[in-house]
Amino acid sequence: MSFLEFVEGPLFYFSGTVFVLAGLWRIIGLIRLGRRKDISEPKGSAAAGFIRGNFRHFFPRRVFTKWMWMHILGGYAFHIGLLVVLLFAAPHVAFLSDRILAGFSWPALPRWGFIIAAEFAFAGLIVLWVRRFSNPVMRLISDWDDHIGSWLTFIVMLTGMFALQESHDILRAIHMLMVDIWLLYFPFSRLMHAFTFFLSRGHTGATYGRKGMIP
Amino acid sequence: MTPQTVFRRLQETGQAGLGFALILLCALWLTLAGSAAYANSHVRAPDNAVNSFDDPDADGPPNTQGSESRSAFWSALKQGDIATTSSSTADGKAMQTLGEQWRLFRTQYILKYSGWVLVGVVGLLMLYYLVRGPMKIKAGRSGKTIHRFSTVHRVAHWFIASVFLFLGLSGFIIMLGRPVLTPIIGREANAILTSAALQGHNLFGPLFIFGLIWMFVKFVRGNFFQMVDFKWIFKLGGLLGGHVSSKKFNFGEKAWFWLLMIVGSVMSITGLIMLFPWLFEDLRFLQASVILHGLGAVTLLAVAFGHIYIGSVGMEGSLDSMLKGEVDENWAREHHDLWYEEVTGKPASEPATKGETP
Repeated sequence: MSFLEFVEGPLFYFSGTVFVLAGLWRIIGLIRLGRRKDISEPKGSAAAGFIRGNFRHFFPRRVFTKWMWMHILGGYAFHIGLLVVLLFAAPHVAFLSDRILAGFSWPALPRWGFIIAAEFAFAGLIVLWVRRFSNPVMRLISDWDDHIGSWLTFIVMLTGMFALQESHDILRAIHMLMVDIWLLYFPFSRLMHAFTFFLSRGHTGATYGRKGMIP
Repeated sequence: MTPQTVFRRLQETGQAGLGFALILLCALWLTLAGSAAYANSHVRAPDNAVNSFDDPDADGPPNTQGSESRSAFWSALKQGDIATTSSSTADGKAMQTLGEQWRLFRTQYILKYSGWVLVGVVGLLMLYYLVRGPMKIKAGRSGKTIHRFSTVHRVAHWFIASVFLFLGLSGFIIMLGRPVLTPIIGREANAILTSAALQGHNLFGPLFIFGLIWMFVKFVRGNFFQMVDFKWIFKLGGLLGGHVSSKKFNFGEKAWFWLLMIVGSVMSITGLIMLFPWLFEDLRFLQASVILHGLGAVTLLAVAFGHIYIGSVGMEGSLDSMLKGEVDENWAREHHDLWYEEVTGKPASEPATKGETP
């Protein structure tokens, strides 16, 4: 078994299993925490607040945009760019179809489209990352988990970019190795916000919604 | 500021600059480590690669001997006329005799000396540091700070700095990999490394253009030439001793800013030409782009080394402006006295206060 076959085969399935099981364990754990019983008379719907809270936070409040525009633009550029690259880059579609989805496939983006998405993803991640250390408040509230999460994601993207020519198996193998490490780290870190953000937004939204306030 | 202090500060602040360097090193190390072992058995041609020689029925290169004399054609070409080639490798592109001159200039000058220029600049900076040491704040730190750069300024600076360093490193591998790295890591490993560097370079290029525009918008104010800059030039920025007055940016900083803008623009345009070579039918555009891109890269990197030196270990207190956005009052008084007076309303000549040194 070659190194490439190992990182795309057994190691990938192991990392993927850890990613799914540990991720589920954390999400179920959060849901099971529940919330304190509120005996006051509800003045609004908690369920509506949960949904509204989730959607409302996609749009920044105008009063904060003066300070947050860079964070907002960087955040959207990175997350949307990464999602597009992850789901619509031709090599990713082929890999997911072949290794996970038993042949189920969907149309991939043309190369130029995926390159543009990657540009946005890189620009966004670099902006978010340099802001983390050049803003005194961000620097103060950031710990190693934040930095490792950013760096690992960056390395995964960087090694993927290195392998773009698809002319050397070793470059693809290094990318897959970094993906495997990223999958293993993901559920035990703040990278989990990719799946838990709707719970935290929803919790805030439900709390305010029950009090009859717009979150 | 001693190197130890700089290093400690970088550690204390969780500085991601070091992290960035580590990431690049790790990625390159992984690439290098695996390259040698896998190079021979795991190299495959891209799916869309074409090798017409495998197919005897396919059109091969034209018969170069020909059946008729083309001396008039070649003679005209040597006089500077441009013709459209029928070569299978450059379909539809113009051909001319400058190719050989371009090749010689590239190999005999750019490839031969550019690496040495960069090594020389680093050597000079090290020598300067060993002889003169870091430029201290003469009055010591006051403990009071002045706001110098906003978060947006700092993010724009670090954004382009990160992209620039990556482009510099990957560009170095692309340009000098064969003469410098091949003897050390071997041809196969260098081929893999170059393939990776080329992809990275192409993808980060547009980010540099974005960063350049962002830098221009955020930093152009205060970077125009002023009369006070004459004094700075005549005194060589205080290199030979004596005080030089300056506003928010001294002439050295202004020169670096405009050099980055002008040479950076040339790099961007020539980079785009190389990225999309089919946009220009005339090969001379491509040849000129390769030369200008190489020369521009060496120029920017050489000056950037000086900028990095003075912004870190070379001058006490200068790193604060880009890490915290604040500078010590005494630093401002000594290096940007006119700006200090503008911002504080106090004369820079009044006795300096000395506070605790962090």
